[in-house]
Amino acid sequence: MTTPPGSGAAAQPVPDPAPGQDEDLAALLGHVARGDEAAFEAVYDRLARPVYGLIRKVVRDPAQSEEVAQEVLLEIWRTATRFDASRGSAMTWVMTIAHRRAIDRVRSVTAESQREQKAGQLLPPDPDTVADTVASRLDAERVRRCLSSLTELQRESVTLAYYGGYSYPQVAAVLGAALGTIKTRIRDGLIRMRDCLGVSW
Amino acid sequence: MKLRRHELHELTGAYALDALPGPELDRFERHLGHCPPCGNEVRGFRETATQLAVAVAADPPATLKWRVLAAVRVTRQLPPEVAGGRRPGRRGWVPRLATGLAAAGVAVAVLLAVLLGVTRHQLDQARAQNRAVAAVLAAPDARLATRATSAGGVATVVAAQSRRALIISTSGLPTLTGGKVYELWFLAPSGARRAGLLPAGKGGKTPPLLASGLLPGDSVALTVEPAGGTNQPTTKPIVVVPLR
Repeated sequence: MTTPPGSGAAAQPVPDPAPGQDEDLAALLGHVARGDEAAFEAVYDRLARPVYGLIRKVVRDPAQSEEVAQEVLLEIWRTATRFDASRGSAMTWVMTIAHRRAIDRVRSVTAESQREQKAGQLLPPDPDTVADTVASRLDAERVRRCLSSLTELQRESVTLAYYGGYSYPQVAAVLGAALGTIKTRIRDGLIRMRDCLGVSW
Repeated sequence: MKLRRHELHELTGAYALDALPGPELDRFERHLGHCPPCGNEVRGFRETATQLAVAVAADPPATLKWRVLAAVRVTRQLPPEVAGGRRPGRRGWVPRLATGLAAAGVAVAVLLAVLLGVTRHQLDQARAQNRAVAAVLAAPDARLATRATSAGGVATVVAAQSRRALIISTSGLPTLTGGKVYELWFLAPSGARRAGLLPAGKGGKTPPLLASGLLPGDSVALTVEPAGGTNQPTTKPIVVVPLR
């Protein structure tokens, strides 16, 4: 999937197919913060697929992914009292925790088993499988469309960092690019994704 | 490497994707404290990353729900942060594993209890009986690790380097016959050191075992050994838990 730089579809915001869902989640978290286990079950039903899916994408090993997902979901219960809707959406609060836990897991495993390996020798993950795993669901389709509007280097930088769990120097090593270039491509890629998805702050 | 200000600003993207290595992470977070435009950009990028996350949603194993809900029933929630009590948090509202667990000995203890499958009452008893156990649970550097074993079941470890000790329990390990035991080892590049024998299990769970003599860089492992244990492992470990 190669898209020429500057191809036309980039800055067309695609409408969010599910407005209001995040408010529901934030409200549910408010109940969870008061110790409501039934509300937590509803939260679980909303979060289990995205949390597990992201962790699985980063960690890959199913048994480890399940362990990390369990830690994250229990963390949501434990720290629901600390969720502050003025600082970001509920889903982002959750997915930020999930991503960091997934990263903690893969970086500790990497340090354990591949200490001598240089970043450039790590197996390159396949950023293009993003397009394969992404099903026909609307939100996934929007993301796929927007990803395909990035330049190839932007897209690879963003997906290797986020789905691959690589630090940006590792991304640079894998792609054979300068550190400064990757820093910039990640940021430019995110700006383009943000505008394409119509995320506004 | 000294980064100029506009170069720091370029790091918003890598930061939002958790892709900054340690030293740069610290420097960027200090910068973030007095760069509101950076903060806004990071926030927008995080919301964007959330869409990337949701796009790869996948069905978890059905057992996950049962395990999480069971854990919730015996896990105490953190109290809310109130004005005046808040440290100048470098990481905003996102708890990290180490700080999240170390924040309160009580929280660690309860989380441990959940994952170890012991009741709070049993845990209170264990803590009262053994101050060393309590010290590990309350250590600021206590880290929790859970791993499935190749024999089935799960081993859960809470390790505190500052106490040079760890606590391990297991759940779902096969019951051993013929006098065999599960032996615990500290693993280092120089070799394996004995760390104790798991107590006999009850209802598929072994009660918490305190093991002292942990050194920096150690992993822990379990093997199946003849009664009384051995001086060196004689079988392949059924699980190795890295502790860093």
